[in-house]
Amino acid sequence: MAKTYDYLFKLLLIGDSGVGKTCVLFRFSEDAFNTTFISTIGIDFKIRTIDLDGKKIKLQIWDTAGQERFRTITTAYYRGAMGIMLVYDITNEKSFENIKNWIRNIEENASADVEKMLLGNKCELEDKRQVSKERGEQLAIEYGIKFIETSAKNSIRVEDAFFTLARDIKAKMEKKLEASNPPKGGHQLRPSEPQKKTTSWLSRCTIL
Amino acid sequence: MEMDETFETSSKPAREPPHFGNEIEDGMNRRTIKCQHCQSLILTPGSADYFERDQLPLMKQKKTKEADPETESVSSFWVVKDMFTFQNVGFSNTVGTTKYLSCADCEAGPIGYHDLNSRISYVALDRVSHTN
Repeated sequence: MAKTYDYLFKLLLIGDSGVGKTCVLFRFSEDAFNTTFISTIGIDFKIRTIDLDGKKIKLQIWDTAGQERFRTITTAYYRGAMGIMLVYDITNEKSFENIKNWIRNIEENASADVEKMLLGNKCELEDKRQVSKERGEQLAIEYGIKFIETSAKNSIRVEDAFFTLARDIKAKMEKKLEASNPPKGGHQLRPSEPQKKTTSWLSRCTIL
Repeated sequence: MEMDETFETSSKPAREPPHFGNEIEDGMNRRTIKCQHCQSLILTPGSADYFERDQLPLMKQKKTKEADPETESVSSFWVVKDMFTFQNVGFSNTVGTTKYLSCADCEAGPIGYHDLNSRISYVALDRVSHTN
């Protein structure tokens, strides 16, 4: 069957336990259907389809499934990841401080050009806030990444965050494609950089 | 994603139970498939094959029905060979060789399952809604 989409992006949600990653994992619907069966087993990943500038984009979004409790995430989890949503809880100072550790973990394990975004979650709990919006912004600037404050209850901005991340990945890929496909006429050979990591089946079928 | 080209669903020529008969067109879903609970879009028209599975006959048959044995109940599924055909769907953690499918939005489920060996997903017709 013909492929019905233009791009496939593998995205990860990373951050301390309890920051609401599972809620960020696209629980867009306000009336969650609390099925014991599914919630007991747990969700591994979700597939989402979004339309971005006329292109059909499939997002495969993975949760860390509790691995984050060990404060480190294995290389296998990062394999093939093109975007990472770094999540902290604005009512939990420690989860914000740990973002730096997560970034280090990403630098050690993930592909160097993985697109990152910082997400301060639970902004509906203003009276319990421990991390100001300014500090979030400052940290994002420090790492040169985008920042947004979201509330799992305010699903619109969660959706915005994923659209932004997807748009940035798409732009990066299109730039790469242009660079590797110079205008007709010349056959350009360039020293290819040694691939740091083996390409997974996911990244193989990304460009269609 | 590479799929086994030789794969064939062992579906019989559709017997088309009256309940779902009008949902099938050219062996595929005629209408949009959505979550019964929150209307989240799961599959677009013409993206899944119809598949009917006869469950195993009951071990115990009522004696009164000797002449007419208790027939197996028929389960109807939409078959999705490439998981990225789904518009929106959740995959549960693995149980044996299976991942259960749920709505991506409200997480209602299981609405079907994914077989890790064949990498084929099955969505139960009676657990989703069909709309225009």
